[in-house]
Amino acid sequence: MDLKDIQNLIKFVAKSGASEVKLETEDVKITIKTGSEETTIVQQMPMGQMPQMQMPVAQAPAPVAAAPVTPAESEDSKYITVKSPIIGTFYRKPSPDKPLFVEVGQTIAEGDVLCIIEAMKLFNEIESEVSGKVVKILVDDSSPVEFDQPLFLVDPS
Amino acid sequence: MRIIKLDAIDSTNTFLKGISSTETLEDYTVVVAKQQTNGRGQMGKLWEAKTGENLTFSMFKGIRGLTFSNQFYLSIVTSLALYNTLKVYNVPNLFVKWPNDILSANKKIAGVLIENVVKQNRLEYSVIGIGLNVNQIEFNNLTSATSLKECCGKHFDLDEILYKFLIEFKSAYKRLDFGSFESLKADYESKLFRKNKPSTFKNIEGDLFSGFIKGISSNGNLVVLLEDEIIKEFTLNEITLLY
Repeated sequence: MDLKDIQNLIKFVAKSGASEVKLETEDVKITIKTGSEETTIVQQMPMGQMPQMQMPVAQAPAPVAAAPVTPAESEDSKYITVKSPIIGTFYRKPSPDKPLFVEVGQTIAEGDVLCIIEAMKLFNEIESEVSGKVVKILVDDSSPVEFDQPLFLVDPS
Repeated sequence: MRIIKLDAIDSTNTFLKGISSTETLEDYTVVVAKQQTNGRGQMGKLWEAKTGENLTFSMFKGIRGLTFSNQFYLSIVTSLALYNTLKVYNVPNLFVKWPNDILSANKKIAGVLIENVVKQNRLEYSVIGIGLNVNQIEFNNLTSATSLKECCGKHFDLDEILYKFLIEFKSAYKRLDFGSFESLKADYESKLFRKNKPSTFKNIEGDLFSGFIKGISSNGNLVVLLEDEIIKEFTLNEITLLY
């Protein structure tokens, strides 16, 4: 079985809708996971694509795509990654003398404020779209973040 | 239009955000406090205001029509509304210092703190906090502050200024609703402090350099002309104007 065969096999499995296929021959052992579970998670998220709610202003400059919540890859695949919607500075507290919004291990509900991303003196409070437990915080307090940069891993289960 | 008046509160922004989480607020709901015990500027910088002498308030505005890439227009609209409000009173040497301080004769007369709430990856509403020095004339050790009274030599009615501001803000926001981005930006740039004047700046490393402020980019970065005709954009963290 060469690389081409494996590629075709992956395509075939992906199209079939099966979530997992295991194949074992004399010299090869292949497991293909299509990650259909994660796909379901994505579909549940509105992803900010609700044109009927847009006001006239939205016609102007570049639309902001990108969902802040997409399934994490690799070994963290069961977790949901919260990403930064903008370039800015990441803050974990409402102000320096206040407690942190969230900590690792904390259970959060949809609508809870996770962090602030500040850009040009505009302070954006990012509310969680999911309920679950904060597994990992991927950025240090007060550090710069890029658009779409992963910020939190949340275990939705 | 609903105006909530309080004698004292830690922060009008925090109060307004608090009630917005329990009830649906109309646009331009305003919380005004005679005294703010923990008024904040950018990331915790305290805003010092004497009881009843200044205008400290926060205003609620739904901003679903804005995208992240044009959210700086909130700063533009707010700055222009403040500028136009003060202009009526003939405040001398009035400028907008990027991104949203209002200066009169190089001294700060008003400050802005804008906090947006992001739900489902979209801008939901904004709480716009304004601190405007009105009748205060002693600023302890703060030589960089001034007030309407200090500029114009008379006492002002706080409510009157608040209503004027709200009218100015609504009319500026209407331009935003119509998508008049270029004209708003040009208007803002025409009021920019030290525009086209040789100025000194400090970068993150603390090094000084000189240049000319030319304007802003659409996402709010400061556009500066440096030596050798190089034009560079800076974010707020990357540059401090010395004056």
